[in-house]
Amino acid sequence: MSVAAGGGAAKIDKTKLMMYGLGGGVLGIYLAHVLNEVTGTDYFSFLAGLGVIAAVVMGSDAVRRVCSYGIGTGVPSIGLMAMGMGLVAAMFGLSIGGVAGPIIGIAVSMGFGYVVGLLTNKIIKMNIPVLEEALMTLGGAGAIVLIGLGVMISGVIDYRVIIANVIDTGYIAIVFIIGSLAILHPFNANLGPDETQDRTLVHSVSAGALAMFAVGIASLETIGVEGFVSIFVAAVVWIVFFKKFFDLVKRDSAGVKGTGLLPEGGM
Amino acid sequence: MDMVSMGLLAAMGALATVAGASEDLESDVGSQSNPNSQVQLAAQVGHTHRIYNKAISGEPPSNALYAALAAVTASVLMSGYGMNAFFAIAIGSVMAAIFNGIFSVTAYMGRNTSQARFNQYVYLDVLRTHTTAIMAHAYITAFCVVTISYIMTAPWLPIQHPFPFPLVAMIWGLAIGAIGSSTGDVHYGGEREFQNYIFGAGLNAANSGDIVTRAEAGLRSSIDNVWFCARFGGPVTGMAFGLTVFLDNWRTTIFDPATQGWYAVLTGIVIVILFIVYNRILEIRARKRYGPYPEYKGDIEA
Repeated sequence: MSVAAGGGAAKIDKTKLMMYGLGGGVLGIYLAHVLNEVTGTDYFSFLAGLGVIAAVVMGSDAVRRVCSYGIGTGVPSIGLMAMGMGLVAAMFGLSIGGVAGPIIGIAVSMGFGYVVGLLTNKIIKMNIPVLEEALMTLGGAGAIVLIGLGVMISGVIDYRVIIANVIDTGYIAIVFIIGSLAILHPFNANLGPDETQDRTLVHSVSAGALAMFAVGIASLETIGVEGFVSIFVAAVVWIVFFKKFFDLVKRDSAGVKGTGLLPEGGM
Repeated sequence: MDMVSMGLLAAMGALATVAGASEDLESDVGSQSNPNSQVQLAAQVGHTHRIYNKAISGEPPSNALYAALAAVTASVLMSGYGMNAFFAIAIGSVMAAIFNGIFSVTAYMGRNTSQARFNQYVYLDVLRTHTTAIMAHAYITAFCVVTISYIMTAPWLPIQHPFPFPLVAMIWGLAIGAIGSSTGDVHYGGEREFQNYIFGAGLNAANSGDIVTRAEAGLRSSIDNVWFCARFGGPVTGMAFGLTVFLDNWRTTIFDPATQGWYAVLTGIVIVILFIVYNRILEIRARKRYGPYPEYKGDIEA
């Protein structure tokens, strides 16, 4: 592993993170849909946002793994690529699948990611051992983030409602860009030789909460004041995890100083 | 071409100029983009520093985020709650500035913490003084970009762009980030961060991270960098973005795209050729006047 970018030893296993990410993401999306349908309200849309946070954690761990092979400036590109794959597959899944749409979208996106990884490794010969698997995870994360944020705005899993509320209004702009930043920012912001997995992942929860907050604002127009639940939950999650992040910064850094001169003899 | 369209065009050009300048200065206070790589490397090659280290995602995606967020908030307030456009855009821009502040703080903390083995500290006073300056610049950028997008899409104005308002804002955000990154960095990286090296020398890979960490008096901070860049780098970026927005819309305002589309295309090509010639003349003049570029002596064996 390249030490320059970080991405060293992982305390939490990637398979576990994938299980939590995929399971949490799908569960959040469906719970939001079902509870909203049963109760006839949009109060439960925030659950899709919580699913998005789970997927963001999974995605940023994949970014962390693949970027530890020394593609420092490639971090933003990888995050945006995840969303690109996710967007195409998510829309395809939703358009043909009805209520099963999210599952189809996520599966197609993961397959998409695997094939892209295969092509880059075998044909362009990048020879990054984890690329296929990491891009598969990223594709899945991208699809969950897009569908989850889409469900937050529209309240239900319905292709036509999502098209009307997310695409036609232009809110896809914020869904796309904040979704990709949530996935790519945690590792990008913690990049360096002393990067640690727990700090990056705690940060990814708070970045996911920011995505949920921003999309919660958009949902104020489509589902009305019920969108405030999403904003409130996101704010609470963000505050809790930002504090945790700051604690980990204090734990890991050479020193958190109020002010001061440069330390003598940096090396 | 009517007078209202020409007036709107002038307003968009002016707003774009302000937005370009503030975008570049925002990235200079935070050492975003290309300068950031050097700030990041500095600690690793032995120069611990008190310069802001803001790695968000490169300027284009991060500015796309601020513009999109401001536009979405404004759009919700206008169409959902009937707010006046001016206030809605102002509130949206506040939201963008807050997000910018949060992303900047986490990037500064995270990147400096990951340099622990090189004794790079996290300075809270740097955070306090710089983040507010970054947010203020981001507010101006978001306000101007979103106003441009609003002018292009508002139903009661003549331009009527077919894309929805937040999407247009995101695209302009990407554009301003790209222009700020390509135009602004040149003036920052070459002239301020590497004052040890002669003008026009370029940066040898071996000198990466060898940035100037001490100012004229005391330690260098990024506020000090923005003070320097506000004189040339910022305004020139503003001019670049202003000209992009103005000239691009100018040719389709003069020539109606529906009936005189080819004239608009030809005008565009002529403008590009004129700029290529002008840039070449400018480069030759600058080399002669401020050189020297060291002569290329072939690859030297290590």
